[in-house]
Amino acid sequence: MSIKIIKPGMFATIQDLGRNGYRSVGIGPGGAMDFFAASIANFLVGNDAKCPVIEMHFPAAEILFEEDALVSITGGDFDGYADDEPVGSWKPFLIKKNKSLWFKKPVHGVRIYLSIHGGIASGNWLNSFSTHTKVKAGGHKGRPLLKGDIIPFDSTGSLMPIESFPALAGMIGPVYQPANIFRCIAGPEWNLVNHESQAKFSLLPFSITNQSDRMGYRLKGRGLALQEPVQLVSSPVDSGTIQLLPNGQLIVLMADHQTTGGYPRIANVIGADLPKLAQSPIHSELKFKLIGVESAEEFLFLLYQTLESIKDICKNYYDAYRHQL
Amino acid sequence: MQSTNSAISDFQITPLSDRSVLVSFGNIIDPSINEKVLFLHRALLRSRFEGFVESVPAYASLAIFYDVPQIRRHAQSSAFAFVKKCLHQLLQQRYAASEPVDPITRIPVCYDAEFGIDIGKVAEGHRLTIDEVISLHTSVIYRVYMIGFMPGFAYMGTVTEKLITPRKDQPALYVPAGSVGIAGAQTGIYPIDSPGGWHIIGKTPLRLFDTNNLSPCLLSAGDQVQFVSIDKNEFKRTDVH
Repeated sequence: MSIKIIKPGMFATIQDLGRNGYRSVGIGPGGAMDFFAASIANFLVGNDAKCPVIEMHFPAAEILFEEDALVSITGGDFDGYADDEPVGSWKPFLIKKNKSLWFKKPVHGVRIYLSIHGGIASGNWLNSFSTHTKVKAGGHKGRPLLKGDIIPFDSTGSLMPIESFPALAGMIGPVYQPANIFRCIAGPEWNLVNHESQAKFSLLPFSITNQSDRMGYRLKGRGLALQEPVQLVSSPVDSGTIQLLPNGQLIVLMADHQTTGGYPRIANVIGADLPKLAQSPIHSELKFKLIGVESAEEFLFLLYQTLESIKDICKNYYDAYRHQL
Repeated sequence: MQSTNSAISDFQITPLSDRSVLVSFGNIIDPSINEKVLFLHRALLRSRFEGFVESVPAYASLAIFYDVPQIRRHAQSSAFAFVKKCLHQLLQQRYAASEPVDPITRIPVCYDAEFGIDIGKVAEGHRLTIDEVISLHTSVIYRVYMIGFMPGFAYMGTVTEKLITPRKDQPALYVPAGSVGIAGAQTGIYPIDSPGGWHIIGKTPLRLFDTNNLSPCLLSAGDQVQFVSIDKNEFKRTDVH
C-alpha cells in the first residue's frame, strides 16, 4: 500500500494548500504553487481539497505503484504514462499494482500535481503537510523526494468506476487564459514609482528569467525607477507581491516567499492569476494590467466558486456510486 | 511607556494583495511606533473578525491576511471594505501603549573570533577594542521589533550609535545557526544556517528555532532581550547546534 520513487525528478515535493498562522514568526505559507490545480487533483479522486499531493516539475519523478490506486494528475501536461499507456490529465484514472507512472515531455505548464484517493502519508508540521525545505519540516522528511523513497497511501479507492466521469475542461481552461496577461493591483509603494516607470510597467513586456523558483520569479525587462531613492524598514509581503529591486528589475514573490522584505512593493499579482503564473515557464513573456482591489477580489471569488462547482460535480459523482453499493 | 487617552490617528490602510491589507504607521524604527503595531496586532488576535487568517507585525506596519470567500459569504460589502471597517473600529479604541512589561530574555553569546568572525573588523571600523564592542553590545536591553526574513529571525534594536555598522557589500554564503549579527542599528540572531549580509560578532549556544516545538520560535515581537557574554568553555558546554 505504498508508492516507491524510482527516479526522483526535479524538486518533487509533497504540498497541500499551505501553512497559515505562522507568518508572524517568519514562517511563510508555502503550499502548492498552483493551488487551483492541487485542489482539483484532490476533488477528482474524492479527496478533501487540503489533502497532500505531490508537486512535480519536469523532468518529473517516475513512481512505482505497489498497489492498485485511484489517482489523478492536474496542472501542466507532461505527457504521462502508466507503463506504456497514456494517462491524460484533469481526470481520475486507475493505476494497477506494479505499474510505473512516468512522464515523457513537457507539453505545457511547469508544474503537475499527483493526487491519490485517500491521501498520501506525510508529515504534518504546524497544521500543514507542505514541505518546508529550508527548515526541513513537513511533507516527506522535510525534503524533496529522493530515489527509493516509499510513501504509503490508502488504497480503498481503487474499486471506484471512473469510465463516465464528467468532463471539466470548459471550467478549467479560462483560469489559465490569456496566458501572458497578469492582472495586478497597485502595491503600497506604487506611488513612489516615477510616472514614466508606472507607464512602462503597464505597457511593456517582462520575461521570466531562469532565476525563478518556488520562492519567486525574477523578471527581466526595461528598468524601472522610483521618483527618488528611498530606504524602507522591513514590512510584510504576500504571494504575488512585485518588488522593485535596486537594479530596476522586478521580482514576483511566489509560494515559498519570505514573510517580510525591504524592497518597494509596487504591485501585487491578483490571487486569481497566481495559478496561471505558477504554470508560466522560464523565458515566457508577460504583461501586467492594473485593476482595482475590489475587481481583483471579485475574480478571486469567481475562482473559488469554480472550485466549489468542480468539488460538487466530483462529490456528486462519487456519492452516486456509493449509493449503488 | 506612557498611556494616552486618544485613539491612534496617524495610520494608512492600503491593500497589500487582494487577500491582505497593510496598516502603516510610518517608516522608521521607533519603539512607540512599533508599540502601535503590536497594539493593533493584539487587538486583532483578541477580536478575530470572521474570516481573519492572521496578522503579521513588522517595524512600523501590520499586515492582515483574510479569507475572501468566507468574508464575502457574510459581508454586505467587498472583503477589503469589510476588513478596513473592522480595522478602523479597532483603531478607534483608546490606545494604551503600556502593556504589562515582559521579563527580559537573557541570551548567552560567545564573542570569540572563532564564532564572531567579523568582530575584529567591526571593532577596527569603530576604533574600539573587541572588549569594548562586547561591552557595548551587552549593555543595552533590546526590543524585538519583528520576526521576519526567515523562520524565527528576530529583528532587534537599536544598538548604540558607536556600533552602527552597514550590511556587508557581499552577503556571506553561509552563516551558521546561532550567529549574532549587526546591520545598521539592528542586531539579530540567525536561527538556521543561511546566507546573510549582517556582520557576525558572536554566536549563541541556544536554539532560537525548533521545528519540534509547537511554538517553534523562542522570541516574538515585543519581547525584551539582553545579551550576556560567555566564554568558549561555557559555549561548548551548552551548545545545541
